Amino acid sequence: MFTKQLVAIAVFLSFCFSNAQECTLVLQGKVIDFHDSKPLELAQIYVVQLQKTYISNADGSYKISGLCPGTYDINVSHYDCETKKITFEIGQNRTLNISLEHHISELETVNVLADVHDNHASTQSSTRINAEKIQEYSGGSLGDALATVPGVSSLKTGNSVVKPVVHGLYGSRVAIVNDGLRQQDQEWGIEHAPNIDLNTASNIQIIKGASALRYGGDAIGGTILIEPARVISKDTLRGHAILQGQTNGRGGSATTTINKYRASGWYQQATLTYKKLGDFEAPDYVLSNTGSETAAVNLGVGFKTFEYGASAKYSFYNSDIGILRASHIGNAGDLVRSINSRQPLIINEFTYDIDAPKQQVAHHGLQFNVFKRFAGLGKLSMDYSFQFNNRKEFDIRRGANVGLASLDIDLQTQNISLYGIADAFENTTYEAGIDYMNQLNRPNAATGVRRLIPDYDANKIGAFASLTHEPSEKWVLDAGMRYDRYDINATKFYLQSRWEDLGYEVQFAAFEIGEQGNQILTNPAFQYDLFAFTAGAKYLWDRHYDLALNLSSANRAPNPSELFSDGLHHALATIELGRLDLKKEQSYKVNATFHGNEGDLDFEINPYINFVTDFMQLIPTGIETTIRGAFPVFQYEQINARLYGVDVHASYDFWTKRPAKEMKTNPDEIVDELTKLVSLESNISYIHGTDSSNGIPLIDMPPFQMETQLIWYNAFVKRLDFRLANQTVLQQNRFPNNNYDVSIPDDQGQLITSTVDISSTPAAYSLWNVGVSYAFAKANTKINLSTNNLFNTQYRNYLNRQRFYANEVGRDIQLQIIYNF
Amino acid sequence: MKTMKKSILALPLVAVFFMTSCTDDDPVTIINEEELITTVELELTNSTDATNVVLFKSVDIDGEGPDDPVITITGTVNTNSAYLGEVRFLNESIAPSEDITEEVIEESNEHEVFYITSVNELTITKTDVDNNGNPLGVVTSFQTGAVGTGTLTVVLRHEPTKPNDNTLSGAGGETDAEVTFTFEVE
Repeated sequence: MFTKQLVAIAVFLSFCFSNAQECTLVLQGKVIDFHDSKPLELAQIYVVQLQKTYISNADGSYKISGLCPGTYDINVSHYDCETKKITFEIGQNRTLNISLEHHISELETVNVLADVHDNHASTQSSTRINAEKIQEYSGGSLGDALATVPGVSSLKTGNSVVKPVVHGLYGSRVAIVNDGLRQQDQEWGIEHAPNIDLNTASNIQIIKGASALRYGGDAIGGTILIEPARVISKDTLRGHAILQGQTNGRGGSATTTINKYRASGWYQQATLTYKKLGDFEAPDYVLSNTGSETAAVNLGVGFKTFEYGASAKYSFYNSDIGILRASHIGNAGDLVRSINSRQPLIINEFTYDIDAPKQQVAHHGLQFNVFKRFAGLGKLSMDYSFQFNNRKEFDIRRGANVGLASLDIDLQTQNISLYGIADAFENTTYEAGIDYMNQLNRPNAATGVRRLIPDYDANKIGAFASLTHEPSEKWVLDAGMRYDRYDINATKFYLQSRWEDLGYEVQFAAFEIGEQGNQILTNPAFQYDLFAFTAGAKYLWDRHYDLALNLSSANRAPNPSELFSDGLHHALATIELGRLDLKKEQSYKVNATFHGNEGDLDFEINPYINFVTDFMQLIPTGIETTIRGAFPVFQYEQINARLYGVDVHASYDFWTKRPAKEMKTNPDEIVDELTKLVSLESNISYIHGTDSSNGIPLIDMPPFQMETQLIWYNAFVKRLDFRLANQTVLQQNRFPNNNYDVSIPDDQGQLITSTVDISSTPAAYSLWNVGVSYAFAKANTKINLSTNNLFNTQYRNYLNRQRFYANEVGRDIQLQIIYNF
Repeated sequence: MKTMKKSILALPLVAVFFMTSCTDDDPVTIINEEELITTVELELTNSTDATNVVLFKSVDIDGEGPDDPVITITGTVNTNSAYLGEVRFLNESIAPSEDITEEVIEESNEHEVFYITSVNELTITKTDVDNNGNPLGVVTSFQTGAVGTGTLTVVLRHEPTKPNDNTLSGAGGETDAEVTFTFEVE
């Protein structure tokens, strides 16, 4: 030990003497968590020869200047990690990325920091939402929080049903993985929001492509990974409680998370959430019947040591959501009246009551996990999960059926998976897994309304393998592939006239089982072979620039809605028809991610292009007349689609510098503490979608959007922050013309031909939000007061299914109290 | 810790058991649309000549299916006559057929039938009322004038604004049935 130091000192002195004139070299790099490549803030880098300590920044970066050519020893420590000793040679300016031992950090808590350029050891385009942001949205929905990410927008039905859209794609094209479990909650429906309590998440990762092969190869839009709080192995109790109230909707939410950990490895986790809102209000009127009530419970118990562990979790989510009364219409003529009136045709007094039309969803999830770590190799884990999802939809009904659900579907899904990761090797990490899914869909036969989605049994068996290779500090290479076999076996009654009209009596005669009245019982069964692969490379320059290129290709089988839809859609007065002869769709997506960090400027540019062959979408095919009147018919068809766009994120921080009092280990050390004064952050998303088969724009593409936020830290007093944010959305000028003509009787008895304009897009809008927050120093308590839509702006959103009926919500003042313990 | 390890090993077995035990094979039963209106019938009976009956009928037996409604008109409407009108809404996709008019009358406050015509000198008056004394429109009187041809549209609205100005645009609500007949006064 002593000799080592002597040698080091000798080496150091010799270089100092011989190269005294050239001590201007700079060493810089990043300190990251070896386990998941998250940046580590506040890592201490002690340079033995200089007797000086440097601290890493929020993005893990550090910079040591004034070095002489030669060999240095550094000790890198972080409160979560084992201290690492590194000896390095320096002859010219160089970059050295330091990863701290993940084995310790996995058992301890890691300060998970927000970094939009997440996952530095991967080539995929991904963004993370941190715990602070999630807490900010305690009263909102998962979709609302996700929409803060560039490239992610929301497809809404009113204000409470919010579906994430990733790079223009949504529904079955976006996989939501909640705590390692692929959420199965009838996500094929446009009016179906994810049945997940946002408050159970500790952080959320959004992968904008099909590169998360572990969770399925069919997510051609992207994968959303919701991760719970990490397990730590010491005797402690952690958690938070959040109370939130809002003026618009005149309600609020309460949520609490309690995590109890033991040094022995045992732990218990619980999250409880309750939310109640009445009718929302647009600037000029009440949005009648838009109240909601949500309750969620998450419980977990487990045992975790470094070598092995097991856990059992149960989650329950229940939500009643009112659907704008005025959006339930009888025929195309009613739709014309709604569009022309420019305000809802039914406006009542504010109420907390939720009447028909409404949705009632319940989701139960039960999951078991076991894992074992093998020394010098990696980890093997096995998961079993059971999900039960029930969805009820209530329409305006007549007679004895008032109060009876029009749609009542039980979806039961079981999953079993085996996953292995070999992460003990120096430069390469291998992953592989197999999984099997069994799914049963059982609509209730007592609704008195023909089934929207039929009874079906589905099975999926798949396997994947991937690897990440880091040949040097400058390169990250990854690749993976996946295969799934999916089969679906349905039992469905078709109206005989429909079956014949679609030509199925010839094409699919083999599926016919029997006839009852004017309906025909059929047994459609299909198999799909699905392939996916991903490959990418990332190059890290000096001075914190990196460029990643990722190609992902995936197949998606048609979902039950695309295959079997058959009936009238009350919100849009359309007849929607599935198609039995749909093939799988295939996407090829290239994501390029260029990230730079130049001083206080941090930016990321993510252009992408996605070619989808046999893209399934609804296309208008004609008009059908019923006793209710005329309706346009939309049927699923397959086209080739081309989507390209770019997401830009940039942030700039202004700092103030003062000498730090803490972290000094000897009086000669100079440690500066930097505190943020102002930060400016901006996100821009643009997407261009084309139906290249017909040379027309794709429907429902998010318009150009820009969000800018300015935060002033420690304004007037310490820990008092002000926030000013603007969201500007331009008009979408690219849309297909799906307008159609109907004859509507006027008040004089003449039949007037009117064009139903369901295609035109709403005007551009700009919204301002302001907020102030104060954090109490000792009590870990934070108070947020914010106002959304400050100027009570009237606007409509192209991606809201209710844009034909009403304006978006007006001004909303929210108060939130967060207590962390 | 030994027991812990054992139970960890047992978990996968339990999981496999769950996977195999959750199948059911109940037969899938047919659902007939219960609130479907397949048929709108308007019967006009001459108030001075009970043998002069005119029936306007529109039938769409497959409901939301692709087949268009079939319209049949029997009998002739005479000039300068008074007729008693009665409208019926039926679900004939099931046997026996269901008379939905009964539900309309039961929930009279939430329904109203509207008659819109382009025929000159044809006056249509609703002669029945709902529980609140507002017009309902199941029973009507038709007063014809000179010879003429035009259209008659019969509309059943659910949850309209009541009372209203007797126009479709003023009544609101949602359309449960909307049928247009050629109306000839001979």
